Amino acid sequence: MPGDTPFVELEYCQLTHDGECACGDDFQWALADGGNRHIAVLSDGLGSGIKAHLLANMTTTMALEFMKSNKPILRSAEIIMDSLPVCEVRKISYATFTIVDMLSATGRARVIEMGNPSYIQLRGEMEIPSFSRRELVSERWPDRKMDISELQMLTGDRLIFCSDGVTQAGLGTGVYKFGWRRSGCLAFARELIAREPAISAKDLSRAIAFNAMSLNKEHKCVDDISCVVLYFRKPRVLRILTGPPFHKEDDSAFAALAADGADRVIICGGTTANIITRELHTRVELDLKMVKVSGSLPPPGKMANVGLVTEGILTLTRVTTDLERHNWDDSPVAAREILAAIEESDVIELVVGTKVNEAHQDPKLPIDLEIRRNIIRRLQTVLENDYRKKVTLTYF
Amino acid sequence: MQDKIKLEICCGTTCYMLGAAELMTIEDTLPDAWKDRVDVFAIPCMDLCTREDIGRAPFVRIDGEVMGNATLETVHRALSKLLPIEPEEV
Ligand code: FES
Repeated sequence: MPGDTPFVELEYCQLTHDGECACGDDFQWALADGGNRHIAVLSDGLGSGIKAHLLANMTTTMALEFMKSNKPILRSAEIIMDSLPVCEVRKISYATFTIVDMLSATGRARVIEMGNPSYIQLRGEMEIPSFSRRELVSERWPDRKMDISELQMLTGDRLIFCSDGVTQAGLGTGVYKFGWRRSGCLAFARELIAREPAISAKDLSRAIAFNAMSLNKEHKCVDDISCVVLYFRKPRVLRILTGPPFHKEDDSAFAALAADGADRVIICGGTTANIITRELHTRVELDLKMVKVSGSLPPPGKMANVGLVTEGILTLTRVTTDLERHNWDDSPVAAREILAAIEESDVIELVVGTKVNEAHQDPKLPIDLEIRRNIIRRLQTVLENDYRKKVTLTYF
Repeated sequence: MQDKIKLEICCGTTCYMLGAAELMTIEDTLPDAWKDRVDVFAIPCMDLCTREDIGRAPFVRIDGEVMGNATLETVHRALSKLLPIEPEEV
């Protein structure tokens, strides 16, 4: 079951040096080996502005490609350092990097760092040291030492890494003579997680970046600030049941899937809802008050102890179309509620009954209804391709 | 105190497309005198849309009695048989 494999939530927050139009840090990530590896690279280019951005961007792009194709790290680093243009003012070329290469399923990871503040691994509030750390130095670039750490992420762990705009924040101010430093950032993250144990990668990276900025004089960005958070967590599973099972004998097995095993359940379809209420001895409450705001779809309802109930084909068609056009600002409530649930979930399990409702084939209907299977196929495609959701399909 | 009349409107796909969308606004069209006398409910699908013996979608149920081909007019008419316009019981 995909629900057993941890989910990798990878987010970052970047703040640009005041007065510059481009950030001198760059972050990129990619999936490799058919999705089995997550590779993320953060680089901080020398100086700030366009020139720094170029250095950083060249570094992340090259590092990502080298990692994907499993090139030896020392050789890769040498190629990167050789190819960066030399700064006219400083007569050196320089861009730091942090590379995280993690097996998505097992959480086994390697972190390669050159010049960036060292990463933080947190299990809840507890910091976890790497179990092996070694140094690697190129003979041709003896002053650019690299640290290679091996670590094991467990479900619920977070990995935080940042540019020195974070650790040097507040430098020279009264409180932080030497800047916020890694220790300040660590304490801040631990405190935040203590208060909000399920804080998302996005919120945590933003909190760290903005707090760093606030430590600077007049809250200025005196250096580019980047913070990346990788949250290796239990995936959130949304199960959507739609359509009556082909064989009536399967109704109870079908309905059982509404009762258990997912974080959230949505039932799309009136007949489907009826089967489930009958099997689970529950009932649906459709709120007629919703009618006035329900727009061009039937209003959503609630099934006690199960979840949201909506009409079937029209609503799913709307949801799919909205996902395809990446916009649901003006969508009716029923569709918007499904879309919100999809957004907050990592795994979408589609449980599809295949019995055809004869009434839907009626030529007197004002518009042609999509066939359920086609809509489901479109939905699966857009969720996987455009929204990085894991989708499973079960037919009944 | 008389019991309220239970008016159920089907919100399933077929009924919705064939007119239930309009029926769901019925509360706004009821004369004031009826407003406290009718309880309106929405139902996911009455499982009647595939049957051919009882008329066509959209379906409503008035105190348990199914009515096919329902429109605002026909539902009003059906209600009026159960409710006097001026319920003056002094
Ligand atoms: S949609 Fe109304 S009875 Fe099925």
